[in-house]
Amino acid sequence: MSALLEVKDLATHFMTRDGVVKAVDGVSFVLEPGKTLAVVGESGSGKSVTALSIMRLIQEPQGRIVSGEILFKGDDIRKMSDSQVRSVRGDRIAMIFQDPMTSLNPVFRVGRQIGESLILHKGMTRKQAFERAVELLEMVGIPHPRDRAKDYPHQFSGGMRQRAMIAMALACDPDILIADEPTTALDVTIQAQILELMMEMQERTGAAIIMITHDLGVVADMADDVMVMYAGKQVEYGTSDRVFYEPRHPYTWGLLASLPRHDVDEKGTLLPITGQPPSLINVPPGCAFHPRCPHARGLCREEVPGLHDVGGGHLTTCPLAPDERPSEAPAQREGA
Amino acid sequence: MLKYVVRRIFQMIPVFIGVTLILFILRAPGVLPGDPVRMITGERAITEALRLQVIEKHALDQPLHRQYIIYLQNLMRGDLGESYQRGRPVVDIFAEKFPNTLRLALAGIIVEVIIGLTAGIISAVRQYSFLDVLVTLSTSILVSVPVFWLGMLFQIFFGIRLKEWTGGAFYLPISGMSSGEFPDWVHLILPAITLASVSTAYVARIMRSQMLESMGQDYIRTAEAKGLTRRAVTFRHALKNALIPVVTFVGIDFGVMMGGAILTETVFSWPGVGREIFLAVGQRDWPIVMGGVVIIVFLVMIINLLVDLSYALLDPRIRYGGAGE
Repeated sequence: MSALLEVKDLATHFMTRDGVVKAVDGVSFVLEPGKTLAVVGESGSGKSVTALSIMRLIQEPQGRIVSGEILFKGDDIRKMSDSQVRSVRGDRIAMIFQDPMTSLNPVFRVGRQIGESLILHKGMTRKQAFERAVELLEMVGIPHPRDRAKDYPHQFSGGMRQRAMIAMALACDPDILIADEPTTALDVTIQAQILELMMEMQERTGAAIIMITHDLGVVADMADDVMVMYAGKQVEYGTSDRVFYEPRHPYTWGLLASLPRHDVDEKGTLLPITGQPPSLINVPPGCAFHPRCPHARGLCREEVPGLHDVGGGHLTTCPLAPDERPSEAPAQREGA
Repeated sequence: MLKYVVRRIFQMIPVFIGVTLILFILRAPGVLPGDPVRMITGERAITEALRLQVIEKHALDQPLHRQYIIYLQNLMRGDLGESYQRGRPVVDIFAEKFPNTLRLALAGIIVEVIIGLTAGIISAVRQYSFLDVLVTLSTSILVSVPVFWLGMLFQIFFGIRLKEWTGGAFYLPISGMSSGEFPDWVHLILPAITLASVSTAYVARIMRSQMLESMGQDYIRTAEAKGLTRRAVTFRHALKNALIPVVTFVGIDFGVMMGGAILTETVFSWPGVGREIFLAVGQRDWPIVMGGVVIIVFLVMIINLLVDLSYALLDPRIRYGGAGE
């Protein structure tokens, strides 16, 4: 029971006109206090839905958590009443969203938006909350925080808005910070600053972070653990070192190979993963990745592979032995 | 800000010229039937001397462009001419009728805002519920019903049938502004509801769609992630954003109502600006028609300006006069 957050076999489905979308289908992971878990995968792999499920922010009735447990400090968030969930949201578990341009309310001053959760969860007065908001803005590196707290979001640049979002999320000193692609909408230089800021904040506050991204490069320095998702399922899960240096799933190889690298060879081309992610309504039988996998064999097309431990808590669904991995050139060379 | 207001006021001048010019061309001999002298003197025979006197007084012998310039010069001095039929200054006639129109317009706006906003918000918050279907359906019907017909239905139902059914115990007044029978405000009920009917339906629909749009925005998810209650998210975060277009609509509508609700005032014999213009059109009393239109145009433009300025209060992204973005 030492885990801060333990997700067991989570499944979240959306009922649409065309059928049931299994956005998240059997995801399990553990988050220890102060650690960082990176959730990696393509668009539509279920990363964000996993995050929203933890916060219980899935839009009902179309979307529903259909099974699993979300144990926060031992209590199942799924079984909490609405008011219990609200007391966790924003206070113990806070969230940063992808697009800082649209995630702040345009008609309220930044300081007020930051102070809102302090008034709600910490019982502060408006004035106290404003003072605290100024401190928080200063902490996330906004110059002239007292003046800027009185500004509206449109007066902030993209990077500053994301800093404000971080300040807002950290306002109540949460145990867990969920960041849903926090740098995707930003310039590259700003991305680095925001990631640096998040690491700095983690050191200061000791919050655990769930970092959702489609960019493995982003999480390389940051994450303690990495979970790779594909078509709503986790395909690989382990410590950052293991997943980066001994990846066991062809999809992870593909993700790593599609990263731009300037250290290996100058004229090296990027190797995309060919094909498209599958429809989540008609997931291919067997391993969902098999139509795009150059190593797919008979069984891959028939039987859904389960997670198995390949040593040291490193889990993968792929039955491929480590020596079957092509050496330098990762999975997709022949397909590229 | 001041610069913006001054610029907007200057922009009103061409609109004024355009409107008055069109009216002048319409009343030129040969465009509409009727001899202006006859309009003024009535059907009885008149002497040639009197005829010339009338022509002289109203400058009817001048070429049309001269007449127009004279009219504009008088307008600058706040003189809208004299009614052909009543022999009184047009300004005085409207000054007398305007308070009645204003009262009706205010009552109409109150109905529009209270019922329209409430219906729209309920409909959005409880999307696809029975109430939502009811609101969507009734507003669709309401926007397609002619106002005068709706007014007459109200008169028949609340004024006549209801009186019959209750044996005279309960009914509403169906014409005029006051009577010994009812307090004055009761006379407002049916005209105000009739006047507001179409706009109320529009307000409800705009409110609903804006609310739904606003509730789908990312900042709503941010607000929910803070742990705010559904109520706080809806009424604090969504509503303020959703209200901006509704305020525009209501503001402009108020301008239109102040210009006189010709149909409603006529159906309910409400002695306001609209009814006055309606009567004047029938009598070809051009100075009243023109004066009325000039006043309406002026009011609508002023209200539009105020609505635009109110944006700056509601939406911080809008600042006039170069400050900000």
